[in-house]
Formats: sequence, structure tokens, C-alpha cells
Amino acid sequence: MKAILIVALIAATGISTSVVYATGTDPMLARSIDAGPITASWIQFNEVFTGNWQQYGELFTNLQAYLFSRIFLFIVTLVPVIFFFHYLAIGPKKFDHSGQQVYYFNLFNRIIHWVAAFSFSLLVITGLLVILGKMFGGGAVIMNGRSVHIFAAVLFLSSAVPMFLMWLKNMFPAFYDIKWMIIMGDYLSSKTKVVPAGKFNAGQKMWFWLATMGGFVMAYTGFYLWSFRGDVDTLRLMAIIHNFLGAAMTALFLAHLYMSLFAIAGSLGSMLSGYKSQEEINILHSRYKPKH
Amino acid sequence: MGRMRFLCDVERCIDCNGCVVACKEGHHIPVGVNRRRVISINQGEMGEKSISVACMHCSDAPCIAVCPVDAIYQRDDGIVLVSKKTCIGCGYCFMACPFGAPQFPGGQVFGARGAMDKCTFCAGGPEKTNSPAEKKLYGQNRIAEGKVPLCAAMCATKALMAGDADVVADIYRERVFTRGSGVNAWGWDKAYKKK
Repeated sequence: MKAILIVALIAATGISTSVVYATGTDPMLARSIDAGPITASWIQFNEVFTGNWQQYGELFTNLQAYLFSRIFLFIVTLVPVIFFFHYLAIGPKKFDHSGQQVYYFNLFNRIIHWVAAFSFSLLVITGLLVILGKMFGGGAVIMNGRSVHIFAAVLFLSSAVPMFLMWLKNMFPAFYDIKWMIIMGDYLSSKTKVVPAGKFNAGQKMWFWLATMGGFVMAYTGFYLWSFRGDVDTLRLMAIIHNFLGAAMTALFLAHLYMSLFAIAGSLGSMLSGYKSQEEINILHSRYKPKH
Repeated sequence: MGRMRFLCDVERCIDCNGCVVACKEGHHIPVGVNRRRVISINQGEMGEKSISVACMHCSDAPCIAVCPVDAIYQRDDGIVLVSKKTCIGCGYCFMACPFGAPQFPGGQVFGARGAMDKCTFCAGGPEKTNSPAEKKLYGQNRIAEGKVPLCAAMCATKALMAGDADVVADIYRERVFTRGSGVNAWGWDKAYKKK
């Protein structure tokens, strides 16, 4: 019986090409009988899920699970502590504000600065609310914080563009900025020495570039995080950039707050009135040459 | 306590999307949110296979690790659930998840996302079991009623299985063995040998 069947099969292969096994020339037909082991399908399915995940998914998960919230917590606790001890040890720089006054910031400068200051403060506060959300229990308060974050971002962007343009020419690096960096702007001594700086010192220039260019990058990456336009790996990359850059900007924001509110007496007043005393300029902005 | 698990038998799944419709209909899921979907490989070619995917209720789930407000938690039976009242809709769980399980309804202020929605294994959420609040936020709690999740219950070919991981694995193992592969592959003996 078996032999007859085999003979019939051989005969069939010789006569007719409709017998699939016998032709063997068309791989598609061969696969239709046996599409391969089921493990091959599982490997393909795994590629659909974890293949994509391995790109930035693992990195993002680890960074967000273990690093980001800790970096921000570190910054908002340690940086103020450092400044507190700086204030105790070295104290504020005081200048005589009774002498000649120089018109340093015009009205446009000040309005733009304060719009940016207000919106940036909102961004920092609401951003920290999201990152450190566990401490506040999450829920509606933090969700509203996210809404404020979006509103503040648009407001900040509308002030960052004119700010970038109005101060750009004063913000290019100069050779004396290196010297300023070496002596750390003379902030580590309580004695008053003449510091090499133009209209803005090297620290202010760093803050300017980080706040404007960094701000534009934050807006770009933030747009993706808000809109979720783009594939998931793009979003992960945007979230990573947004968090790292945000940490750097938060640190310098705190430094700027300390300098303007505490470290240099009368600094806040100059951004309100627009005037700086000649004595302060002679020391902290010694290379500043006002145009008359 | 057993460990709850989904398993989709890709040799049986026929891409009918019955599970997707059952889930959306049974839980009143808003438009644009898909707790479950069917993915196909080699579509239109020989060797086409489909799989139904929702939240995999992972052990050591990445979404739980990245949530900045601890809105996601895991029950003792392995089911991963979200508290929509704690969630802030940041979307980080979506970025951490390999399966695209977390979903977000839109329409919040400034076009922001709402609280995350995902497969609950038909086990509701942190609200009181079978309460109207739970049903409104998370859909039916079939697990509390002693039923399997809707998607698996509706599956026409019984490709999608849900339940205790050991039981599900046993069923699948038996199926694979009966279907035959490797040394059990179909051949002369299977076809003609009298038992």
C-alpha cells in the first residue's frame, strides 16, 4: 500500500506542476504550506515592541526613574544652601548709590525683562511641581500646574525673542570674560576690587545664552511633549533633553535670583528704575562704555 | 494568589478586532483611546500573523517606575492599575511602555492631555469596587464579579486568553503540543499511522 502511494506521488510530480511540494521553485508557495516555526513570528512581534523600546525607551525609563527628580531636588536644596553660606561668609556687595546715576536699562529692556522674569518663574515653579509631583500627591493641583506651564511657556517665548535681539550685541564673549571667570567675578572675596566686565559680565552672558537659546530648545522640545506629535522615540529624546536642560536652567535661575536679590545690594532697584550708580559700574562693569 | 496574565495565541488570532470592539463598547472608551489593539506582521503576505495587545501588566513595570506622581500601582495578583484622580497626564508612562498601552484623552485646557487611560484587566481602579464612580472612571469591574476580561471572553477563536498565568500557560502549552511542531510536526505517522 505504501509503495503504491509513493509511486503515485512520483508520477504526479512528473506530470503536474500543481502539486506544490514537487515544484519547489516558488518560495512563496513553499511558505504557504509552512510559514516557518512559530518562534520566528514571536521574534518579529518582539521586534515590533521591544525593538523600538531599546532605542531610547530603556534610557528614558532609567533616567526618569532614578535621576531626573533627584537632580532637581539636589539643585533646589543644595544651591540655596551654598548661597546661604556664601551670604554668611562673604556677604553682599554694597555700593554708594547716592552719587552719579547712569541710565543703564531703558523702559523696553525693563518691560521685556520683567515679562520674561514672571513667565520664567512660573515655568520653574510649575516644572518643579511636575517633576517633584510625588511630594505634593499629584492630582488636580499638579495637572493645573501643567496647564500654567504651557501658558507660561508661550508668554516666555514672546519675551525671549525680543530679549535675545535687544541684548545680543552686548552678550558676545570678550577676552576679559576669561579673566572674570578665573577670579569667579570676585564673588569669593569680600574686598571690593575692579572686575573686568562690559555692560554684562561673563556670568550674565552665560545666563543670557542659556536662558534665550536654551529657552528656545526648551520650547521646541516642550512643544513635542505637549502635542505628542512624532513617534514615541522622538518624544523620549525630547523628554530627556527637556529635563537635563531644565535642570541647568533651574540652577542658573537660582543663581540669578541670589545675585540680584541678595549678593549685590541695589541690583533689583536698577532693573526697576533703570539706573545704576557710577560707583557700581566702575567696579563691576569697568569696561562699560556708555554711548552718549 | 495567582498571577493574572494575558496571552494571545498568534496561531489562532485572525485580526477580527472583536476584542478591541468588545473593550471599547463594554467600558465606554472615548474616541481616540484604544485600550486594546491588534497588530499584524507580514500583512498581505504568506506567514501573516496577528496579535492582540493591551497592557501586559508587567512585573517590574516601567510605567510605575517613571510616574512622577505615583499614580500607577500593581495589585498583588499582578494587575497594573492607574488612579485617574492622581494622574497628571504628563505622558511619561507612554514613553516608558514598550507596548503603547497608556492612552490619553485630549481636550484639557490649552490642548493638554487628560488623565491616562489603559487596560484595567477589567478590574476597575482604586475607587470602591463596583461603585458608580469606579465604573465611570475605569469601566466595568468584571474581575470582582468573577468573570474574565471582556476581550478574552469575546474572542471568537479563543486566541486571546486571560486569567491565572499558570492555567493560561498550561492551555497554551497543550495547544502547541497538539498542533505539533518540531519533533511533533505533522508527517506520515500523524496522518496515516493507526493508533
